[in-house]
Amino acid sequence: MAEVAQHPPVVTTPVSGPLAVRLRRLGEIVRQVLRNPVTVIGLVIIVLMFTMALLAPVITTPNEPNPYQMPRDWSALNEPPGTPGHPLGTTAHGGDVLYGIIWGSRTSLRLSLIVVGVTVTIGTIVGSLAGYLGGKVDEFLMRVVDIFLAIPELIFALAIAAMLGPSFTNIILALAVVYWVKYARIIRGQIMHIKQNDYVDSARVIGDSKFHIYAKDVLPNSFTPVMVQATMDMGSIVLVGATLSFIGLAEAGLAEWGVLVSEGQVGISTGRWWASTFPGLMIFLWALAFNLVGDGLRDVLDPRTESR
Amino acid sequence: MQIRDYLIRRLMVLPILLIGVSIIVFTLTRIGGSPIGIYLSHEMTPEEVEQLEERYGLNEPLPVQYLAWAGGVLSGDLGWSGVAVAPVTAVFGDKLTATMELATAAGIVAVTLGITLGTFAGSRRDRLPDHLTRVFSVSGSSMPDFWFAILLLIVFWVYLGWFPIGRSDPAIWASIAHPTGLYTVDSLMAGSWQALRDAIWHLILPAMTLGLATTAIITRMMRSSLVEELNEDYVDAARAKGLPERLVLKRHARRNALIPTVTVIGLSFGFLLQGTVVVEILYQWPGMGRWLADAVLRGDQATIMAYVLFTSVLFLTVNLAVDIIYAYLDRRVVLGS
Repeated sequence: MAEVAQHPPVVTTPVSGPLAVRLRRLGEIVRQVLRNPVTVIGLVIIVLMFTMALLAPVITTPNEPNPYQMPRDWSALNEPPGTPGHPLGTTAHGGDVLYGIIWGSRTSLRLSLIVVGVTVTIGTIVGSLAGYLGGKVDEFLMRVVDIFLAIPELIFALAIAAMLGPSFTNIILALAVVYWVKYARIIRGQIMHIKQNDYVDSARVIGDSKFHIYAKDVLPNSFTPVMVQATMDMGSIVLVGATLSFIGLAEAGLAEWGVLVSEGQVGISTGRWWASTFPGLMIFLWALAFNLVGDGLRDVLDPRTESR
Repeated sequence: MQIRDYLIRRLMVLPILLIGVSIIVFTLTRIGGSPIGIYLSHEMTPEEVEQLEERYGLNEPLPVQYLAWAGGVLSGDLGWSGVAVAPVTAVFGDKLTATMELATAAGIVAVTLGITLGTFAGSRRDRLPDHLTRVFSVSGSSMPDFWFAILLLIVFWVYLGWFPIGRSDPAIWASIAHPTGLYTVDSLMAGSWQALRDAIWHLILPAMTLGLATTAIITRMMRSSLVEELNEDYVDAARAKGLPERLVLKRHARRNALIPTVTVIGLSFGFLLQGTVVVEILYQWPGMGRWLADAVLRGDQATIMAYVLFTSVLFLTVNLAVDIIYAYLDRRVVLGS
């Protein structure tokens, strides 16, 4: 921030100017995004999921002492949907499927926000260092990135989580270690590209410091593809996280969709379809919603790429 | 010339990447503490533990341990698999062929279906088939494969009873020789229709599950690159000279649209490989994926390490091959950029 203060006062534009421009641009983007009905469907699902996650303690009676642990009703095992008190049925261990779905949305929200937040931050730092400094630093960091990319994502996360021991916190940690790489690559590529723009040269000519140019001109303009990727990852991280907990890397009895599917899976051969079907549907809807919105965002933010 | 230089450069980087991956894998096994735990029992005295550590070189500094481990890997010693109760290398082959058979079947499903659907949608841009295909491909890539497998099992295994689970009917499996370990190939070699039918019957559901996400990716890519090609001048030229639309599509546009699709097909190989983990659990397929899942749950380090190393080597090799094929197919590509 000290470097911002050194900035020659002659060239500072009034703060309200660019801010107003930015806000107007944001408004345009939002309007354009909302014009696509498919994106709106995705947004509605996301809003519903988030509301469910936030209201979980209000719409259910939280399990004591840990609400993220499934309450067990040992007098109601394998009850089908429609049973009084258990509208979506219960699991073989007397877990209420609806409770699991509601608290599972909270677990998913926590998982995706933490992982996306951490990986975008690490990716931005690494990608900026590589792209902005270039040379040896770039060469070294990109080799590290290549090495991380050489291991298939799920296998990598699976191995890390397995070595750390089964717990949901370790799943979060494992996903964070695996997912930052993509962002580093995107940011680096964007920065390399934007560095060549005339306005960056002009900023240099008028004597802006290197950090100021980076913070004011380069980084904000590099962020568009990161937003698209982060939106998509909000969905895919829940998908991969649920896969890891389905395999058995989360605590047993955790109110998490993958754990629930796994708990319900044993009953399918005897016709008890509900305990797996409903939580699985939630994972699907969650991933679908973020995919739809991510797609819509990409169409608007990056008109060069055709919607795929 | 350019391609040769590029190839040489890529091949030179490959060992660096492999060493990097092996360091990561080795580090992973040490974050959970010393692997001495596998050999320990409650009755051991501290002296005996120390002797054990010395025997396996676990009292040496980490870099020395790494070199010893890497040396072992290079000479074909991947350690002892606690899950399989055998050396990793002894069971690796059988598991690999089972997985490869499944992945290949899924790959065939995905490539055929993906290219067909993508062409279908791309040549009918913004019309109903295009929209439906888009719904399919977005749903396909949002679908948790373990859930899709369960849905298929509920419908086709539990209720309809059309398809079995597992890899084979044990009696039919035992009735033929297995020189390759690939059930379909073995049954063809033995000339047994019954075995071939059994093999394919067992493959259908898992291959569909495993191939779904990849089909979605290939469909998307094929669709968008076809849309792009159909806007090119050469397509107008072909139409102007009176070529029927069917041939414009088949001979010109689709051929060029396949070039970027090839890359995606190659890259989705890693996707198929990691998908086998849950698919093999649910369909009780005796391959590498299920082996890994067991190993993960029981802390079988040697198996996990071998699996990660193997998939990475395979992944890197396939990616390199894809890049080279792409470079040959499309000379406009500026290599190494």
